[in-house]
Amino acid sequence: MSPAAKAGAALPGLIDRRTPRWRAWLLLLPMVTWLVLFVVAPTAILLVYSFCERDEVGRVLFTFTLDNYRRVFDPVYLWIFARSIYYAGLTTVICIVAGYPVAYCIGRAREEWRQRLLLLVMVPFWTSFLIRTYAWITILKQEGLLNGFLRLFSPGTAGLDLLYTPTAVVIGLVYAYLPFMILPIYGSVEKLDGALIEAAYDLGAGPLRVFSSVIIPLTLPGVAAGTLLVFVPAVGMFAITDLMGGARVPLIGNVIQNQFMQARDWPFGAALGAVFMGLFAATYWVMLRLGAQEEDSVA
Amino acid sequence: MKSHRLILPALLALAIGAGSARAAGELNLFGWSEYIPQSVLDGFTKETGIKVNFETYASNEELLSKLVAGGGSYDLVQPSDYAAEVMIRQNLLSPLDPRLLPNLKNIAPEFRHRPHDPAGRYTVPYMSGTVGIVVNTEKVKTPVHSYSDVFTPAFKDRIVVLNDTREIVTWALYTLKLPINTINAESLAQARPVVANWVKLVKVFDSDSPKTALLNGDVDVGVVWSGEAAILWKENKKFQYFIPTEGAHQFIDVLAIPANAKNKEAAHKLIDYILRPEVSVLISEAFPYTNPNQAARKLLTPEQLANPASYPPGSPKLETFRDIGKAAADVDRLVTDLKSAR
Repeated sequence: MSPAAKAGAALPGLIDRRTPRWRAWLLLLPMVTWLVLFVVAPTAILLVYSFCERDEVGRVLFTFTLDNYRRVFDPVYLWIFARSIYYAGLTTVICIVAGYPVAYCIGRAREEWRQRLLLLVMVPFWTSFLIRTYAWITILKQEGLLNGFLRLFSPGTAGLDLLYTPTAVVIGLVYAYLPFMILPIYGSVEKLDGALIEAAYDLGAGPLRVFSSVIIPLTLPGVAAGTLLVFVPAVGMFAITDLMGGARVPLIGNVIQNQFMQARDWPFGAALGAVFMGLFAATYWVMLRLGAQEEDSVA
Repeated sequence: MKSHRLILPALLALAIGAGSARAAGELNLFGWSEYIPQSVLDGFTKETGIKVNFETYASNEELLSKLVAGGGSYDLVQPSDYAAEVMIRQNLLSPLDPRLLPNLKNIAPEFRHRPHDPAGRYTVPYMSGTVGIVVNTEKVKTPVHSYSDVFTPAFKDRIVVLNDTREIVTWALYTLKLPINTINAESLAQARPVVANWVKLVKVFDSDSPKTALLNGDVDVGVVWSGEAAILWKENKKFQYFIPTEGAHQFIDVLAIPANAKNKEAAHKLIDYILRPEVSVLISEAFPYTNPNQAARKLLTPEQLANPASYPPGSPKLETFRDIGKAAADVDRLVTDLKSAR
């Protein structure tokens, strides 16, 4: 080994201990700046507002009050929270049931097919979300495509009354968030080790047993990631409830939006938002704990 | 939303840079979406050389939020009557100079000196309208002339109404023969059971485009903006509009100049341009609300004048909204509660 190479070999130890520290921070700087500007600062403003009052015109007055939080825990809004969680939970479950087989098939498909099938999952994103929601209105309305199609087979029937019902809201939510379930599950299915499945068969497990004891545990991280990606935005969604649900049953997203627009009660909206964020943090924490337990039990 | 505050200084710096280059030649207009035809603004720019930067909002509350927060620098805004009232009270508007508005004489007297601006110093009426009943007369054969005719079990799930808490409570107050601009715990307690029954019957709450559900055949009756009803009538004469017999909310959308406007001269010019009959009539063609401009009405076609939603026959009971201050939160809570309970 040449002296130069020796010197090079001695250097890394030095670099490891000192330089990377500030270099790492430098690399992180854009990310940290972004987080501080657009996550930490707005969240701080939100928290401050949530303890303030509004004046006659809707301006935020910086006088401390707990009234907003007291109002959040009024049964009216607790029910709306509960309903939002129910809708989002239902959406998540349907997305898992519908998305898992799709993701599994794509993940186990032949290489050249995989990319094409994945593309199909992502194609809807090329169109604006609102336009796709309006397309659903065209499908579900009383004189719409779906009822026209049904009448082809049984003329004279009244058709389904779907638009502006809770069913329409769930259809809209599942449609909007299904890709966010498929993609992470696909990610875990793709990494699935075929040897483990073969080993399970060799050891005498039937297809059901293989699925429940090998495939499901191995793809669970994908399901967990998908659940977060679907559940969290679905709880706060307001556009679909307004457009497809006819704004009949308010969800928490609608209530918050209303405070910042029509009701001009920013402090109350901020308090709802803060509680809402706490809820997400709790969900995330529970998911993490479940994930950790899963790893422990596998190990 | 909050991030705007951080971007604002940067934008301001840009705006000042751009502004100094062509200060006299630009006008920042903040108006309703779908309310000012682009052809009107283009015509103004062509004639005066003043470039119009047009930003839009979808509710008075959005406009108020922006102005009281001190954001934006607008030369001309377009609030509704009660929002203008708040802005006048908060010294957010600049008094108009009548000498710069010779065409103000075209406005019908009944649209000036209304409670929101009794002296007429701050606002010029742009367009006016009402909130009333629209009926698909092909599907509904019985007369529907009052709020209590609309909200009956016979029309369950066949009704569209505005997704606006104050409007819904106002209709309830009208049926109870209570004043619509004095809202307190007592009147809300009386309105509560009425609204509770009503929301159960409604199929769609939509303020943005209530005509859609009617056109699609998903509902047969509605309580909507007269402009929406006028468009429906233009589309198909089966959609008839009625001012509810109990009384109806009339809104007067106005043009006004914010106190901190940079180019008040250009703003006066645009107001006066819009007040010209031949310009005002273009607005009526695109958005068939009630035109307060008498001279422009003479230029309308008989068909336009016959539209019952634009120019309702008879002399119905009409009232404008006054600002209700903090009671707005109680109204919002009441309707949210009742909608949620269904």
